[in-house]
Amino acid sequence: MPYVIEVENLEHSFGKKPVLRGVSFKIRRGESYVVIGGSGSGKSVLMKCILRLIKPRAGTVKINGQDVSSLSQKAMYSTLLKCGVLYQGGALFDSLNVIDNVSFGLVYGCGMSKKTAYKTAMKNLEAVDLGPEIARVFPAELSGGMKKRVALARAIATNPDIIFFDEPTTGLDPITTGVIDNLIVRCTKEMGISALSITHDVASMKRISDTVGLIHDGKMIWEGSNRDLTTTDDPYVRQFIDGSPIGPFIRS
Amino acid sequence: MFLVSVGRGVILFLSSIGKLSCFLAESIVVGLMPRYHWKQIGQQAVQIGYFSLPVVGMTALFTGMAMTLQCYTGFSKITAESAIPSVVMIAMTRELGPVLTALMVAGRLGASMTAEIGTMKVTEQIDALTTLSVNSYKYLVFPRILAGTIFLPFLVLIDDIIGILGGYLVGVHYLHFNAANYIHNTISSMSTWDVTSGLIKGAVFGFIVCVMGCYHGYLSNRGAEGVGRATTNSVVSSSIMILLLDCILTFVLF
Repeated sequence: MPYVIEVENLEHSFGKKPVLRGVSFKIRRGESYVVIGGSGSGKSVLMKCILRLIKPRAGTVKINGQDVSSLSQKAMYSTLLKCGVLYQGGALFDSLNVIDNVSFGLVYGCGMSKKTAYKTAMKNLEAVDLGPEIARVFPAELSGGMKKRVALARAIATNPDIIFFDEPTTGLDPITTGVIDNLIVRCTKEMGISALSITHDVASMKRISDTVGLIHDGKMIWEGSNRDLTTTDDPYVRQFIDGSPIGPFIRS
Repeated sequence: MFLVSVGRGVILFLSSIGKLSCFLAESIVVGLMPRYHWKQIGQQAVQIGYFSLPVVGMTALFTGMAMTLQCYTGFSKITAESAIPSVVMIAMTRELGPVLTALMVAGRLGASMTAEIGTMKVTEQIDALTTLSVNSYKYLVFPRILAGTIFLPFLVLIDDIIGILGGYLVGVHYLHFNAANYIHNTISSMSTWDVTSGLIKGAVFGFIVCVMGCYHGYLSNRGAEGVGRATTNSVVSSSIMILLLDCILTFVLF
């Protein structure tokens, strides 16, 4: 099966306002696909529609060849076990400490014993360069970068085929951003995990992407490889990468 | 224009009832299926049954004391002071115990449930539960509803005892009733149904407080402001529901 994610003509709206207007793209196994676009362009909604957290109005989403809209709740949970998600703010459970957060999916999702889950969770914390001293700390006591790392450890804990990154570097300083980017690259290249990242951080996008899709006004208006980014003369891509205040984004 | 706004209001009301029914059905159906989150159920039981004790106890004590004084004011005019112990007992077990306990729990726990679940909603923690293959209704909602329905009657029972004790303290030590007579009058006029009907009310109110607390938490959006609004709505709606259902249940259990 060449594609892990296939999205076709995805449409969604909030009330009368269309958010996604016929978005289509495919992600190959082991590929790191980055969706870029301005704030409010529909990137996060796209990710939630793929994960069936939001039911789209039209279109199909296939994960590992299975149409997610036709899956039962039980089958969807099995599919989700093969998907890790790193949320924008980390979405760590406030009432649980780090080790319980990382082992949560293993205990409650996979039904693993707590002892085994803790061992796996410790390995995952190590994989994101966090030591055992952090295991009993609560999320409120962590810095932004550490929260993201713990969230990444939780996302990879269930050994997923695909990881979704929602604005993984938003709100972080450039050095921590670089650390998170390296961890993402390590996940995709060393662990062979496919990734769908959503970001508007151009530097981060250049570091972590194999393929890039530009979404604007609910439509995928450009798609190309990481190399194409530097050579394309598409005015939308150029304006987004250069961060110019003048260009087609402003006009539309 | 008037008809349009009336129609819009009716549709909104019906849609809210539909949403609440779907929420409740999903929570109960999913919650009753194995496997059960015993740890969550236990934590909620402690929150509702144990940590609410001080506030419920104080409310009951002061209400029982005030009730005895007020009864004395009225009953002494018709020389019916001997009826005070039984009136206080009936008022506490049948009416004040369940209603006051439920209102206090709605203010303390209903609000905290809404704020906790609402914050989880706006910070994507509920989405994170789903993507970790955990049903949020089963993990967050069902344990609260179950614990509320089971443990609120226990709180009502304790409230009844403390309320009657408050009445006894004022009656015997302030109004100088004979202690043995006060106790005898209280016990002799007490029937099993007085206590049972109060406990039934308690179970219903516990269910309502937890359902409304969780439901409004799930409806939260738009950050801190949305969570604040949801918390207010939760306390107001569960308080109104408690008083409305109290009236209906009193007719049914009369």
